[in-house]
Amino acid sequence: MVLPPVAVVAVFIGFPVGAAIAYTLGRAGGPNSTVALLAQRQHIVHHGVTTAAYREVLGNPHVRADLWATVWVTLVTIVVVVLLSWAIGLYLRLSDTRISRIVSALSVIPLFIPVVIASYAILTFYASQGFIKTLAYHLGWHSFPTLGYTLTAVAIGEIWVNVPFGVLMMSSGLNSVPNALIEAARDSGASLPRTVRSVLLPMNVIPTVIVATFTGIYVLGSFTVPYLTGPSAPNLMGVSMANFFSAFNQPQQAEVMAMIVFVLAVGIGTIYVWANVRASKRASITS
Amino acid sequence: MKARLLAITVAVLVFVPAAYSAVDAGGSMHAVKKANAGTTIVVYASGDVNVQNLWQNNIIPNFEKTNKGIYVKFVFSEHGTQDGTTLARIGAAVKGRHWPGIDLVDGGLVTTMALAGLDQPVSKATAPNIKRVNPDLLVPVKGAAIPYRGSSVVLAYDSNHVKSPPKTLQGLLDWIKANPGKFTYNSPNSGGSGYSFAETVVDSFLSPSVEKQMVNGYVPDLESNWKQGLDYLHSLNKYMFQGVYPNGNAAVLNLLAQGQLWMAPVWSDQSLSALKSGQLGSNIKLTQISNPSFTGGAAYLAVPKTAKHKKVLYKFVNYILSPTAQQMIVDVMSGFPAIDVKYMGDSIKQKFQDVSANTLRPTYSTKMGNDFKAQWQQTVP
Repeated sequence: MVLPPVAVVAVFIGFPVGAAIAYTLGRAGGPNSTVALLAQRQHIVHHGVTTAAYREVLGNPHVRADLWATVWVTLVTIVVVVLLSWAIGLYLRLSDTRISRIVSALSVIPLFIPVVIASYAILTFYASQGFIKTLAYHLGWHSFPTLGYTLTAVAIGEIWVNVPFGVLMMSSGLNSVPNALIEAARDSGASLPRTVRSVLLPMNVIPTVIVATFTGIYVLGSFTVPYLTGPSAPNLMGVSMANFFSAFNQPQQAEVMAMIVFVLAVGIGTIYVWANVRASKRASITS
Repeated sequence: MKARLLAITVAVLVFVPAAYSAVDAGGSMHAVKKANAGTTIVVYASGDVNVQNLWQNNIIPNFEKTNKGIYVKFVFSEHGTQDGTTLARIGAAVKGRHWPGIDLVDGGLVTTMALAGLDQPVSKATAPNIKRVNPDLLVPVKGAAIPYRGSSVVLAYDSNHVKSPPKTLQGLLDWIKANPGKFTYNSPNSGGSGYSFAETVVDSFLSPSVEKQMVNGYVPDLESNWKQGLDYLHSLNKYMFQGVYPNGNAAVLNLLAQGQLWMAPVWSDQSLSALKSGQLGSNIKLTQISNPSFTGGAAYLAVPKTAKHKKVLYKFVNYILSPTAQQMIVDVMSGFPAIDVKYMGDSIKQKFQDVSANTLRPTYSTKMGNDFKAQWQQTVP
């Protein structure tokens, strides 16, 4: 029963990943022979392995700058998305008014807008002649910074794209907390902040971890938002990788960068797995 | 090179039977036409619908009208989906000394064919108009393909703000420094117009012999010569629009259209189309600079070595390179004439007088260009 899916994963994911790892370590034979035939500036060995490609990429100060930009934008996006989606989710959980329903509808709209269109809209919105700057100018703030083509614009774009998923996860997580628990806390005299801290927060850890980790992994590998709204340099790794892969015809270096992003994503993934394991352990203890 | 040969060998092994059947089909078709006392030549083209429109509704009907008895059969492959099999078919036929069923090819596969030695050398062509084409364009295809239209990078400027546009590269660089924030170019790795500006500035620091070697081949040892030019480009950062190099040719056109830029390098055909459709306002004008001019690129035609009716075929090629047909390229697809504009009619001379692109200055070879983009990204922004 399990074998066919395992086989599919092994053939279509495991094999290419294995080949890519071999290529980054300087092996150009077998499945890598075609790419190696056309690529430029490769580090190839015929026996053993070499870390020359890794040393070249990590020794490149521009790649390191891109890497730091990626890490920073990812961290900022995670923090803002978690805070925003928590706030919206909480509001929807605790208030059932017309406005809250409108807010919940609005917060998922970005889900239905293609990322290319959204990126272009964000770029125009924050451009030097865009809405925000014009508004600030009329309000008397003449030195309002132009955010188009900056890492700030990239972070805004990433937050915009990731908030709907966060809101959906958080509100479904918060909705699964039984009303009885909240009411019991309130009846025992707990204030609303205290109820949130002691009841809702601990019962909503897993959705929070999911939102944080998935957002992080998404931003690490994102391309469209930074490509359209970001600065020329430094920019996120997704853009850099695409440049090395196609424009510079250096697929080996691009794959090395993919490995670095992969390691970062694995780090984030580990947190997710750890949180899940901890939660299921707790569940088995209490039940 | 090795990869191409390998690909062709594999293709030959796979497609030899197909090629034979094609030869049969072509032969019988030819027999039918012979009965009508006419000659049929077969043209294969690939590309977007504007290419199809150029051939099917313009060049071919007009040629057939003025040359009674010559029929042109047109085979079109949208977006080049048939290029692979067509290349294999021609490769097999030429190696087997058969007629490939195609006499004239227009499309991305032409340069591959030329470098793989499947084409009739241009020196054997009997079309006098070929002499009107810039001979430099024959170098990248080893003299085995005929450039028939082109597009060049030109300088677009906002005539509301710029009354007398610069005429030389030095003039442009002075203008950029005098008008900070009103010029930029797209990052070279994201589009050809920005690439051309960067290469043109760097070329102005190179000796002609070094530049020639970079156009004609891959010589990584010479790349240290780029340093001076790239450092100069880096020093221009503070004069660029927001110090940024947007991604893609279209991004720069948008900034021009919004009035945020007053001057920028753009593709001739892309900007002429945008002017026609109103995406760019009529205040945007185009011009070409000199010393050196911006680079350009050509689309090529290929005559397979085993094509039939070569005499009639070159009559057709000659027609394509005539001012009449070149005019259609300008009108229908906002392209660039492949022949020197001095041979063109007055209206074209007028249209391109500022662009004065009597030459399409060739760009670096592909691999050289890839390294150039990489070094630009490392040093300039």
